[in-house]
Amino acid sequence: MVEDIPRIGVFICHCGLNIAGVIDVKEVAEYAKTLPDVVHTKDNRYTCADPGQDEIRKAIKEHKLNRVVVAACSPRMHEPTFRKTCAEADLNPYFFEMANIREFSSWCHPSTPKEATDKAKEIVRMAIAKARLLQPLKEIEVPVTNKALVVGGGIAGINTALDLAEMGFKVFLLEKTESIGGHMAQLDKTFPTLDCSICIEGPKMVDVGRHPNIEILSYAELVSVSGYVGNFKVKIKKKPRYIIADNCTGCGECKEVCPIEFPNEWDMNMGVRKAISVPFEQAVPLIYTINLDHCIECYKCVDACGARQAINFDQEPNEVELEVGAIVLATGFDIYLPYDNPLYGYGKYDNVITALEFERLILAAGPTGGKVIRASDGKKPHSIAFIQCVGSRDLKKYEYCSGFCCMYTLKNAILIKEKYKDEVEVYILYMDMRTPFKGYEEFYRRARNLGITFIRGRASHVIETPETKNLVIRAEDTTLSQPVELPVEMVVLCTAAIPKADAGNVARILNISRGMDGFFMESHPKLKPIDTPVDGVFVAGACQGPKDIPYSVSQGSGAAARAATILSKKKWKIEPIVAEVNTELCRNTKVKCGICAKRCPYGSIEAPENQPAEVITAMCHGCGTCVAECPADAIIQNHFTDEQISAQIKTALKDNPEGKILGILCNWCCYAGADLAGTSRFEYPPLIRPIRVMCSGRVDRDFVLEAFKLGAGMVLIGACHLPYDCHYISGNARMKARMDALAPMLQKLGLSPQRFRVEYVSAAEGLKFAELMKEMGIQLKELGPETIKRENAMLKPILEKMLAKKQRKSK
Amino acid sequence: MSESKPRQKEKVEPEREFTKATSTSSEEPLSDMTKDKTSERRGSETASIKAHEFDPHFKHEISNFHGGEKLKQCFQCGTCTSDCPIARFSDSYRPRSLIRMALLGLKDRVLSSDTLWLCAACFTCTDRCPQDVEVASVIRIFRNIAVKRGVIPQIFKELGSNILENGIAYKIPELRLKKREQTGLPPLPKRNPKALEKLAKETGFLKKLKGSG
Amino acid sequence: MDVNKDSNQKAWLLFLGCAVPYRVSSYEISTRKVLAELDIKLVEMPEYNCCGLPIDPIDHEMMLILAARNLTLAEEKGLNLVVLCPGCAGTLRKVNKKLKESKMLREKINSYLKETGREFKGTIEAKHLLQLLIEDVGLEKIRSAVKKPLFNLQVSEHMGCHVTRPTGAVDFDNPENPEALKKLIEVTGAKYVDYIDKSACCGAPIAGVNDKIPLQLTKEKLIHVKDAGAQALITVCPFCHMMFDTNQPRIERMFNETFKIPVLHYPQLLGLAMGFSSEELNLKGLRVDPTPIISQVSDRAEGK
Repeated sequence: MVEDIPRIGVFICHCGLNIAGVIDVKEVAEYAKTLPDVVHTKDNRYTCADPGQDEIRKAIKEHKLNRVVVAACSPRMHEPTFRKTCAEADLNPYFFEMANIREFSSWCHPSTPKEATDKAKEIVRMAIAKARLLQPLKEIEVPVTNKALVVGGGIAGINTALDLAEMGFKVFLLEKTESIGGHMAQLDKTFPTLDCSICIEGPKMVDVGRHPNIEILSYAELVSVSGYVGNFKVKIKKKPRYIIADNCTGCGECKEVCPIEFPNEWDMNMGVRKAISVPFEQAVPLIYTINLDHCIECYKCVDACGARQAINFDQEPNEVELEVGAIVLATGFDIYLPYDNPLYGYGKYDNVITALEFERLILAAGPTGGKVIRASDGKKPHSIAFIQCVGSRDLKKYEYCSGFCCMYTLKNAILIKEKYKDEVEVYILYMDMRTPFKGYEEFYRRARNLGITFIRGRASHVIETPETKNLVIRAEDTTLSQPVELPVEMVVLCTAAIPKADAGNVARILNISRGMDGFFMESHPKLKPIDTPVDGVFVAGACQGPKDIPYSVSQGSGAAARAATILSKKKWKIEPIVAEVNTELCRNTKVKCGICAKRCPYGSIEAPENQPAEVITAMCHGCGTCVAECPADAIIQNHFTDEQISAQIKTALKDNPEGKILGILCNWCCYAGADLAGTSRFEYPPLIRPIRVMCSGRVDRDFVLEAFKLGAGMVLIGACHLPYDCHYISGNARMKARMDALAPMLQKLGLSPQRFRVEYVSAAEGLKFAELMKEMGIQLKELGPETIKRENAMLKPILEKMLAKKQRKSK
Repeated sequence: MSESKPRQKEKVEPEREFTKATSTSSEEPLSDMTKDKTSERRGSETASIKAHEFDPHFKHEISNFHGGEKLKQCFQCGTCTSDCPIARFSDSYRPRSLIRMALLGLKDRVLSSDTLWLCAACFTCTDRCPQDVEVASVIRIFRNIAVKRGVIPQIFKELGSNILENGIAYKIPELRLKKREQTGLPPLPKRNPKALEKLAKETGFLKKLKGSG
Repeated sequence: MDVNKDSNQKAWLLFLGCAVPYRVSSYEISTRKVLAELDIKLVEMPEYNCCGLPIDPIDHEMMLILAARNLTLAEEKGLNLVVLCPGCAGTLRKVNKKLKESKMLREKINSYLKETGREFKGTIEAKHLLQLLIEDVGLEKIRSAVKKPLFNLQVSEHMGCHVTRPTGAVDFDNPENPEALKKLIEVTGAKYVDYIDKSACCGAPIAGVNDKIPLQLTKEKLIHVKDAGAQALITVCPFCHMMFDTNQPRIERMFNETFKIPVLHYPQLLGLAMGFSSEELNLKGLRVDPTPIISQVSDRAEGK
């Protein structure tokens, strides 16, 4: 099939008047006929509608077409549609190419129809040039292990595990601490219904413990993850409990005889537990643990355990290896303990506590039996102030809003008021009260009706009166423009929810990224909130950003559904636009190179010494970074080969190159931003000739050299914003490093700096793209064709030499 | 700057004695407030802020000065005011309110506000602002602009003129200089007011001092 | 007095500022005494001018120029600056940092300075006395110079805002939890007493604009100092000192309070511990009579 002479069919869409209203479609069709290898052209009112697709299918048969080009809207819209159309007519779907003449021409140049038509012709010509070089590709299939690993046994992870188990998949639930339950098990009541937290979570925990499809790996940590979607290999280290799990009945007789107590972290160190114990009564699994830091090895517990023989002081950590098809991260969050803020006196003043500590105080099963008392004197305070946003919304600590603090503050305030009535005055110092979800605003009204005093102002300072251990809070009541000094007997700091201390480590193990805030990054903030850039790895709950219980539960179930889309299949298909190494050209056989392996954002290339590099196809995401990085041009990216892109460049710059901007734009950000400029009908001068690549990391410096050699007026590389927007983790950063080296060199050779631009435009920045086009248009005009031609003449021989040298080398 | 205290010994009470700007602050006697000269002057019945008072560009103008860059980040939490040593004792000085007025575009009100000159520049607000607004610097910018409009409190005029005449902010009486040497201290180093005057001319500072206000 | 006799001494250019020579000579006298003993050589600074801070409210640019001119004088001498007044120190440090960092600003300011034949190059450092004592002299050296430790004398501090604020520009100590002066007080053997609102401003900078508020602020602080049981208050700023010492009798009259809290410049306290006499340290220059604590000091120290 490869040696077949291309027979190209070109279908040009009117899109009603969306295209035909500006562009002379007939003229474009006539022009397409004149291009090499085009054997059939047709224009339709709506190519994507059934009749339009029918015509394509028919034409493939009738005219023996082996390439199809549709000139219509953005490939981001209908490329999958037309690929399917081709496949239905037995044409390999990768023999299809799209020319975007709507978003890139008719919609953004409505007042210059002639120029818009000319631009459309050239966009079609570029698509045809690429189509002639297309290769048939086969989707890659990998087997799927239909088991899942859920990391983290809080409320999000519990729901993921239960849902997947109910669907019939085997689930490993990994929990770092002794028991599942997470933060929810520490709370007293939950908002806005005030049901008891452990009463509603407890039964779910028991369900997890009993489910035949769930295996809990508690008191254990993630060590490493290798493999790829459908085929992960996971290493886990289990810490020794010094208890033989199978023998422990959870009876607690050992605890009764243990003479040693130490502060219980579960109680925020406000209560105590025995050296052999469980952190709380409802723990799942109900297996005791000996804390050797505190145990005096009196062996009374061994006697109490007796014939059950569950105690083993010789236990060692042991590693377990699992094979799973999907991984869900539900590792949760930590609570900020503001020891580093001298202004609030936490850790210094007895009666300043955090909200999580307050939960343990007011909880009936807590260390004080549910009595709210002061640490300084054990007495009930007559006034309590809650200070909100401690650490949150603070550029010096955590910039983001922790989201659920307003609600838990209201809850705690209501609990006090309902418990102690007017014996306790309650104040809430807040900046903005955020109650956006179901039943929340009503809950806020309930708090107001109970007589809680709200002060709109951020507390700036807490001062202790040494004799009474009472506190004075300084704030401004901003509604009155009046500084206030509020005397209270207890202060509760509502502190930020922050990324888990080991989030960085987990991110490294799984090769996923974290946002500026330190939480795990989702693939797309709106449309892929549970996916990560690593296929088969999902996130749920507060590890992706602070979330309340209903939100975490929903995400837990959502992640189960997302994981099931993989686990439910025997085979998983991977788009074949992956990289391949030409083993003959690879330098790694002769010299120690391995650049591709180092630069691959996914670690999907192996380059063992003296052997050619090899792409692990299932792990390759098809960004093409390695292709651009390879010093020997020994790697190709299927469907985005050097030859194909080079053909597009040559075609784009065939006529009047000085007057044009050659743009190489990444699919996810800049190309999408340009699409949005079109959709928004932002008009800009019709100078750009766009080439779409999946990632800016694919942009080889030779493309830039080639474009200038051919006389391009300007070259634009459009990428996702640094540092975290790249859909391939770090492709944009690789591109930047490459171009940062190239730009000064070109300038030295006499290129005006404004002629080579690297710009970062997000998918949301249509306006920015349009403004950029206008700005570059003005600069292009200012430079004028004469200057550009003069510079080009000077550059050309050097660029030719550079490109020729490269070609020789690779041969 | 507290050297001016003896001079002011007699008049302890008024907080804003030096300024000539009209005030609409709550410290005025009730009778004045009920008269509401503001609306009279503007020929309108309502007490609302009038359209012509808004200058939406003002916040950008401030942001362009060094130290004013973060002004627009303010979310009005009141941290600056709550721990401001002056605001705690003043009935009128509220750094947050000044910033609010600037954000709203009430340029004239901000620049003619007498409270503008009450900031002690202790920088507590700047250090504690959770949104990195350099509050004290923003107030300094307000003052600098007010000076351009001819408002300079007497004390700053004096300090400025002294510096240009003597090189330092005070005129030290001969008696003191003698006393200094009696205690065994070396004579004060010579100063160079000529160089300062030259600089003051170049920058237009001299003009500002001599100008109206 | 000749402090420049020993060539092994480390030389610093002394920036006196405006207020110290005008009204607070005790601070200067005691500083010179103490630093000489700690092998710091002070070089006089001819032609210096006001640091610029007083006119910052009317013209920020002129402030920058005045500060920069002082810095160029030090550059010419090739010596770092030691500054007694925190207002001057803060200004000189801030401007020095800004001009070193920003080429644009530097060029602008230099375009003015050129008119008087000067140029800012960014070759020296400016430090407040406290910073010099902590960073360059060092607590160990000071400790070994203490001959008569002030055991059991209970003192508090009022450091002054501009020693540490604004944080990013001044880069010294932590304003919310300052330690420099505390350490320097403890090294004299005196007992350090904490009090409420320790780091709050005394109000001095607005004394020329409003007379009442600074006195109220200072009064409140004096109440806290008294409640904490301090026998003396230590300052390192001429303006703060005027508020707490010079104005103390007036505050007592105005608010009908009795404080009688002696306010010493830190070098006076250190000087006492180093064995200087109260005459040498010009303690009689203080408004609030320090005799009760002086007698106590010598008694106790000798008793040990």
